[in-house]
Order: sequence, then C-alpha cells, then structure tokens
Amino acid sequence: MTSTTIGATARRSLWRPRWGRQRGLVVACAVFLALFLAVDLITPGPFNYFEFSFLSAGGAALALAAMGQTLVILTGGFDLSTGAVVSLVNVVVASVMGASVSSQVGSFGVALATGGLVGAFNGFFVVVVRMQAIVVTLSAMFIVQGVTLLVMDKPGGTIAPEFVSFFTGSAIPNWLPAPVVVVLVAAGAWLLLKNTRFGVGLYSVGSDADAAYAAGVPVRRVVFAAYVLAGSFYGAAGAFVSAQTGSADPLVGRPMLLQVFIAVVLGGTRLGGGRGGAMGSIVGAYTLMIVVNILLVLNVSAYFSSIAEGSILLLAVLVASLNHQSPIAFYLRLLRTKLAARAVDALASGLPPGAPMPPLSARPTARVAGAMATSWFTRNQPALRMILPAYAGFVIVLVVSQLLFGGTLDNPGYYNALLVLSSFLAILALGQGAVILTGGLDLSVPWMIGFVGILTSGLIHGAGQVATWVIPLGLLIGVALGILNGIGVVLLGLPPIVMTLAMNGILQGAALLYCNGTPAGYSSPAQRWFMTGHLVGLTPVVWFLFLFITAAMLLLGQTVFGRNLYAVGNSPLVARLSAVRVGATLIGVYALSGFCSALVGILLSGFSGQASLGMGDEYLLPSIAVVVVGGTLITGGQGHYLGMLGGVLLLTALSTLLAGTTLPDATRDIIFGLVVLSAVLALRERRI
Amino acid sequence: MRWIRATLGMVTALALAAGAHDAHAVDKKFKIFLSMSYIGNDWQAEAANMVKAMAASKDYRGKVDLQVQVAGPNAQRQIQQINAMVQQGAQAIVVYPISPTALNQVVRNACQRHVVIIAYDAEITEPCAYNVHIDQPEAGRVTAEWLAQKLNGKGNIVVLTGVPGTSVDTQRTAAAKEVFAKHPGMHIVAEGVGMWSQAVARTEITKILTTHPWNEIDGFWVQVGCYTIASMAKEAGIPDDKLKPCAGEGANGHRIQMLPVNDTGVKGANATYRPMGEASISYASPPYSGGLALKLAVDKLEGKEIPKLTKLPLPVVTSETVKLCQEGTWAEMQAGCNVFQPSIISNPGWFASIYSPETPEIGSQAALNGKPEQ
Repeated sequence: MTSTTIGATARRSLWRPRWGRQRGLVVACAVFLALFLAVDLITPGPFNYFEFSFLSAGGAALALAAMGQTLVILTGGFDLSTGAVVSLVNVVVASVMGASVSSQVGSFGVALATGGLVGAFNGFFVVVVRMQAIVVTLSAMFIVQGVTLLVMDKPGGTIAPEFVSFFTGSAIPNWLPAPVVVVLVAAGAWLLLKNTRFGVGLYSVGSDADAAYAAGVPVRRVVFAAYVLAGSFYGAAGAFVSAQTGSADPLVGRPMLLQVFIAVVLGGTRLGGGRGGAMGSIVGAYTLMIVVNILLVLNVSAYFSSIAEGSILLLAVLVASLNHQSPIAFYLRLLRTKLAARAVDALASGLPPGAPMPPLSARPTARVAGAMATSWFTRNQPALRMILPAYAGFVIVLVVSQLLFGGTLDNPGYYNALLVLSSFLAILALGQGAVILTGGLDLSVPWMIGFVGILTSGLIHGAGQVATWVIPLGLLIGVALGILNGIGVVLLGLPPIVMTLAMNGILQGAALLYCNGTPAGYSSPAQRWFMTGHLVGLTPVVWFLFLFITAAMLLLGQTVFGRNLYAVGNSPLVARLSAVRVGATLIGVYALSGFCSALVGILLSGFSGQASLGMGDEYLLPSIAVVVVGGTLITGGQGHYLGMLGGVLLLTALSTLLAGTTLPDATRDIIFGLVVLSAVLALRERRI
Repeated sequence: MRWIRATLGMVTALALAAGAHDAHAVDKKFKIFLSMSYIGNDWQAEAANMVKAMAASKDYRGKVDLQVQVAGPNAQRQIQQINAMVQQGAQAIVVYPISPTALNQVVRNACQRHVVIIAYDAEITEPCAYNVHIDQPEAGRVTAEWLAQKLNGKGNIVVLTGVPGTSVDTQRTAAAKEVFAKHPGMHIVAEGVGMWSQAVARTEITKILTTHPWNEIDGFWVQVGCYTIASMAKEAGIPDDKLKPCAGEGANGHRIQMLPVNDTGVKGANATYRPMGEASISYASPPYSGGLALKLAVDKLEGKEIPKLTKLPLPVVTSETVKLCQEGTWAEMQAGCNVFQPSIISNPGWFASIYSPETPEIGSQAALNGKPEQ
C-alpha cells in the first residue's frame, strides 16, 4: 500500500482525474463480470432466476459487512471486530425474535442497534481516548466473542420463517430476489451518505486528518460516526446471516474477517484511507464468493483449491492495478532511463572521483551541553510511553498469577516455561513487526510456519545428520518465499494483505501436496533437545531467545537496514528522496518475516516432535496483536522491538494464567479483550 | 483496458477448455459432490482420503462420479458451494458441515430439488438431511466414567477441550462434566482450550503445567492431546509406570503408547512414539464416516431406504483392548486390531479409528493415500 504512491507522475489530462477516481470500481466490476461470464459459459443450461437468487444471497452478508469496513478504512482506520459483531448479532437476533411481525421488525432494529453499539464503543476509544484503531477493535473483537458465547454457547435457535423469506425470498416473484433489494438499499444508503457533509468529511479525514481539521471538518465527529455506521452495517450483515441460515451459530462470523478485508481491497479501496468506496466493496464481496463457483466448474481438486484461489485473487488484483502508472511500469521506465544513462555514460557511478559533491550538513560530533542536562527519561519519553504499558500489564499478570496459584513469582521453572512459550511469538513479532513498521501486514505467517515445518520434518525424519543441511535449507526457503512476497508488493504493486494472503493459500496447497494430507516424519533429536531439554538451568531455546532479542534490537536500532525501514514506514516518498532504496528495503522486510516464520516452523516442530497440518493457524492474530499492543503504529514508521517483546510477554503470561483456571471460554475472551485494552489505555492517559 | 480484455479472454478460454474436458466424461454414473469445510488438519485430510478411496473402490468406481470441493472455514462459502453443486446437477452431496445450523436453508432448497444431502461427522439439524456421526454426549460420558473409575472417584484432573462454540465440543464437555459432578472428590483444576490440534495441545498443557505441576495432577480428560501429554511427561523425566491416566481421542501415537512396555512387535518406534503401557481410554469420531456417507448416498440413489440418522458405534479402546495391526488391511482390522505400526503410520497424530464392519472397501491405505482395498 505504500509503494503504490511511488509511481505517481505529474502527467494528467483533463479527463483522467475523474476516471482515476472511479477506476478501482470500474476495474472491480470488470473482474467480477469476467469471472461471472466464465462460470455462466461453462455451467450447462441458461442462467436462470434460481441461480440469480442464489448468487445474490450468497454474497450479500459479506457485501454488507465489507461496506461497513469500508467506512472505517476510508477514515484511515482498521476494524478487526467485524466478524465478531456479525456472530453477536446473529445470536442476539435468534434470542430476541418472537413469532409476531412486530417482534421480527423489532429484532432487525435490535440487530442494527447492537452493531451500532459496538461501533460506538470502538469509536469512543478511537476518537475520545485517541487509541489506535487496531488495538481498540482487537479488544472489541475478543470482548464481543466472549459476549456472543455468553448469549449462546453452541449453535441453535430459530429465526421466524417470515423474517427468512423477507430477506432471502423474492421481492418480485421470479423476477427480483430480495437479497438484491437488500444490497441495493444498502448501496443507496451509502450513496446518500457519500454526498452529505459527512461523506465529504469521511474522505477528507482519511486523506489528511490535519488538513481536514484545518478546513473545518469536525474530524472527531466524522470518525466516531464512521465507526457507529460501520457497526450498523455489520448489524445488517448479521441480520442477513440470520435470515440466510434460519438459525444462529456463535462462530458463524469469525472466518468472515479476512474475507471482508480482501473484499474491500478488491473493490479498489486503499488501506490507509481517503480513496475508494463502498460500491467497490460490494463488487469485491461478490467476486470473492463467485470464486467458489469457479473452483467448482473447473473441478479444481481439493489440494489445489487454495492454490487456485490464491492465484485468482492475485490475478484479479494485478489486472486491476496494471496501467502505465503502476509500479511495474515505473520500474521498467526506471530501468530504461538507467540503460539510456549507461549508453551515454552519464551514470553517477561513472563520475570521476574528485567530482564536486553536494555539501552535506556537518554531523554533530559531540552532544550539545544542554542536551546532556535533560534526563534519560525525558529524552526517551515517547519511546517509553509506547513500550511501558505492555510491561506494566505483564507485571500485573504475574502478580495476579502469584496470588491465584502461588509459587510462580519465585519459581524459575515458571519463567523458563513462559519464555519457551514466548519464543515463538517473540520471533514472529520481529518479522511481523518489521512488516508493520513499513505499513504492511504479513498474512502468510500461518502456512509459512506449516509449510516449512512439514517440509523440514519430512526431510529430516528424525535423523540428526540430515538436519544439519535441512534446517538451513528450511530457513532459506522461508527467505525466498518472503522475497516473493516482497517482489509482489514492490514490483507488482499488490497490496500486502492480498499478496501475503494469496501466498498463504498457495503454501497451504503446497504443504498438502507435499505430504499428501498426512505429514510424515519427525524433527531431529537436537531440535527436540533445543526446545525441551536443559542447558545451564534453562531450556536451550531460552538462551537462544536472549541472543535473538539482542540481534533483533541491533537490527532495528543500529543498522542501516533498520533505519531505512523506519524511513520507509514514515514516508516512502521522503525515504526515496533521501536516497533510501525503498524497494530493496521492503523486499528485505518481507524476507525477514519469511525467515522468522520459517524459524518458528522449525522450532515448533522441535517443540511438538513433529509437524502437523495447521500448526501455524493459531499464530497469525497473536503475531499482529503483540506488535500493536507493544505500541507499534499499524500505519507504519513507529514502534520498538522492546515494546513488541513486552506485548509477547503480556499476552503469553495472560493466556498462561487463563489456561490454569477453569473459567468458561466466554469469560476468558472478555478478560483477554479488557486486559489488552486497559494495558494500552492505562499508561497512555497518564504521561510518564 | 487492453490488459483487462486480454485477461478476460484468457480466463474465459481457459475455463472453456477445462469445462469441455469434463462435459463428456460423465455418462451413467451418479453425480455426487463432496463439500468439505477445511482441509488443513489431520482428521479432515484423512477423512477426505477415505471418501476418495470409497469412490475409487471396485464396487463404486463404475457407479460414482465424485467431485471433491473445499469451502474453507467460512459458512457463507459452503452455502454458496452447495447451491452451486445443486445447479451443477448434483444427485447427492456428501457434506462435512461447518455449522450444524447455518446450512439449514440451503439444504432445504437442495432437498426440494431432490438432491440427497448427507452429512458426516458433524451434524446438519435440518430434518431432510441425512446424518452419519457418533453420539457426542456418549463420547464425553463414557470417557469421563472411565477416568472416574480409574481414579476411584477422587483426584485433580486437567481438561483440554476442542473448539469453543461448536456443538461437538459443547456436548462432549458438558457430558463429561456431568459425570465429574457426580464425584465430589474429583476436581477440575485447569481447563485448556485445545482447538483439536496437537500443536495447540502442546502449548496449552505447557501453560497449565506452569501453574499446576505434574505432582498436583492425577489425570487428564482431553479431546486431542493424550499422545502429547505422555510425551511431555517423558521429557519431564516421569517413568512409564508413573504416567497419569489419560482419556482422549484416538491418535495412533496415543494407542501405541497404550501398548505394554515390553511389546516387541512394534516396528519403527521413535522417541515417545513407542509402547509405554499407559493407562488410557481412547475414543474417536471415526474418519471412515465420510466413506460410509458416500456409500449410503449411493444406496439412497439406488432406491434403498436409509435411516435419517446413522449413529456410528463409539469406537472405544482401552489399555486392555488395544491390539497391534501388522499391515492395516480391513480384514486384519475385522479380526480386532486397532492400532497401526509406526513404520507404516509415521505421523503419531494420525487417527487410528478407521474400522467399520460396513466399509470393507477401505483400510489403512485408504486413509493414508486414498487407495481402496480392492
């Protein structure tokens, strides 16, 4: 998302700006139509009303949720509570709905209100308390998940048949399916909104909040309203899911989260705000759903389906982003210029050694006396304010564990186990954190872990000698795959979440194909010793973790790569003008993340003795959570590895504490959400 | 725009080519689809292999044209997928349902168009669907009773559940807790969320052990995880005869550990994947259920009556009844063996309950490679 700005050129004709603004939507429609025509041509028989009705119902819930997410993204935010709210609304609607018509209408109102209420919660903490949207919505996600399980701990309930047919039946029999009307009404609402002052405010806040404020846009009110409205859209999606399924399931919305983001991106909305719109998201949602039909008509076999899906996703976004302003065109032009320069021998490197260079400002060689006088705390205050909350939370969790179970604070075994468990997330936090520092996101973590774990265990098969070359190979593969991610992001200009999610799908398919559905083999005895043995009182991996932390801090804090990374995160354009090699830095960041995931894959298979399918699944969300709880800005450029480490320790200690209790799952989720929220909240308010 | 048109053309052409390829292959066979939810775990992959093997077996390969599709974890997509299968002219759809309730509407639609819908392992609550699964509360009850008896009704136990919010997990855990509640001497000291994954079980048990050390725990009631627990006990230096009783699902590794320590017939044992004489009960939600569901679907299409609910007998293996298979053929399993050689099954997390008297077409090769017995 950062690199797309690189290719901007000044050349503009009169008609281009207008087309440029609609471009995302038009291309999204074209992609959808192409896929739709492909399905229709292959499917025997003409496209009939039944198919129309099914297709329109299939994508409606995703479309509604994606519209809500679009509102938040347009303001420059990020809403992780989407899927959880859909589930909550689903169980609430099923619980409150009676047989009477008035109760059914009322429960639709309750659906919108429930969503709006969660939106107001998010909006309050984002706007009034000024917390990062991703932290707020992450906690909201956990809290809402918990509340959902409190309302209904397993699937059940019924939705009145009239409610079902109102939303999923026919508005005009054999001519117009009701879901089309639902989506059209939502689209109408969006178009009305967009043309109000709120709509103008939405785009201006997302483009530049300070400029919007200076221009008199009520920034805080606009952002708050965006969250509340987004919540109501999720509420509508939840109501639609209720009608579509005729019942309730507390887990129904959770897997929608990633899909919602992809739908928004497919629809041409830019993460980071200011550009795009909800119409595109509708098309994006239907595009995602029609992929299911494509896979079916092409009879793509099971192991290949995630590969095919990832490829379709990549192609769709690639087609949408190809024009003469796209990064690949830019790099081609750059290459041409360079070649031309070489031909006439005008390259900078060809200058004679004594040639005059532009003057550099003198570096301060000694610290000014006044700066020495300020205390260490004053100088590092901003960094400390980001880092400390997580550690404070960690200490509190330790004290609570001591009070509850006793024998933890003074027990070296407890710290050892905690550090072993933390090692996975601490390593992932470096990769994911580096990617987030540049304003990206790496969603390929789960199957990068799984693929490398399965591949290395399969090759090692318990043999120590083989491991000596397989482990470096596994790490190399991680780096290579990470570089592929980076190339997709930099050279092809793909949004990071699309590129890495597609990579995740492709790696899942590759892992399944490699092991034919059953991972074979074990990790080597050395790997197992490393994760579970003893070395001078501690598990070996804990010693390694200390080394890793030192290396990570040096890498981010003291190296050119580290400084480039922050520069790119703050502003790719400024970084470029400062002679930072933006593309190379970004590729390096994804390579680092690939390396970290591969390392975790190898360590995890050592920890468990073997690799298993889906072994990385539980690490994606935590890898993002620890990074942001540690004070890193999701929009890039700001964050410290020590903070991320604090996030790792806090979340690991908390989940260790919760696992030792017999609290119901619902309560655990709620506690988890509240702790994340208050950890970041507590010290943000009171300046240290 | 040239790009778009070119790609559009390419996609369409590609799609057409692939479609034309299939169109004539289908003749008189039953057109049956398998709609899986998620394929990225051991159980799902094994069950899918068994369905494929059933379709490829001697009696069925001439009758069945099977297409396997994966919906992913999102119920919305499975709804869309089942609809699309109906549109494609499915005569029967074998489903691993993501949710017991979310598919009800689409299943009702399919039934109205005379498509046989049959769900395996998990359940579809819509009355017109056929279901093939074990009695989940029974699984919880039987294993909890075994543990209570083993501990003489008193002791501290650790519970490891599955995926919270699913019917299967809620029913099993509730039934087990009901049993424990009848024994005032039994205390659940910690409850981890195991997510039905070996890898997660490992981290959860590690967490629990930090606050409840081995010597404070008398037994385990888990879903997936007994193999992992015994392995961790070995790492902690606990000898074979001091292992805590564990009630859990039927991973091959777990059952190997249940074999007597001096069992010399085991080939390919490795580290903790070896006989330990552990006192255990192993139950399972058997992965052959998908294969059986396919068989029932064909029966129904051939005009036979099949029951709405095929309740599978709960496979229960205890340390007393565990018996090693040499090859893992169906005939051998019929003779009573229920755990497989580590030399054949190198993944200890592989589910060993694959025997049903109803499915002589599929044995261990089916579960491993999708190859039928004949």
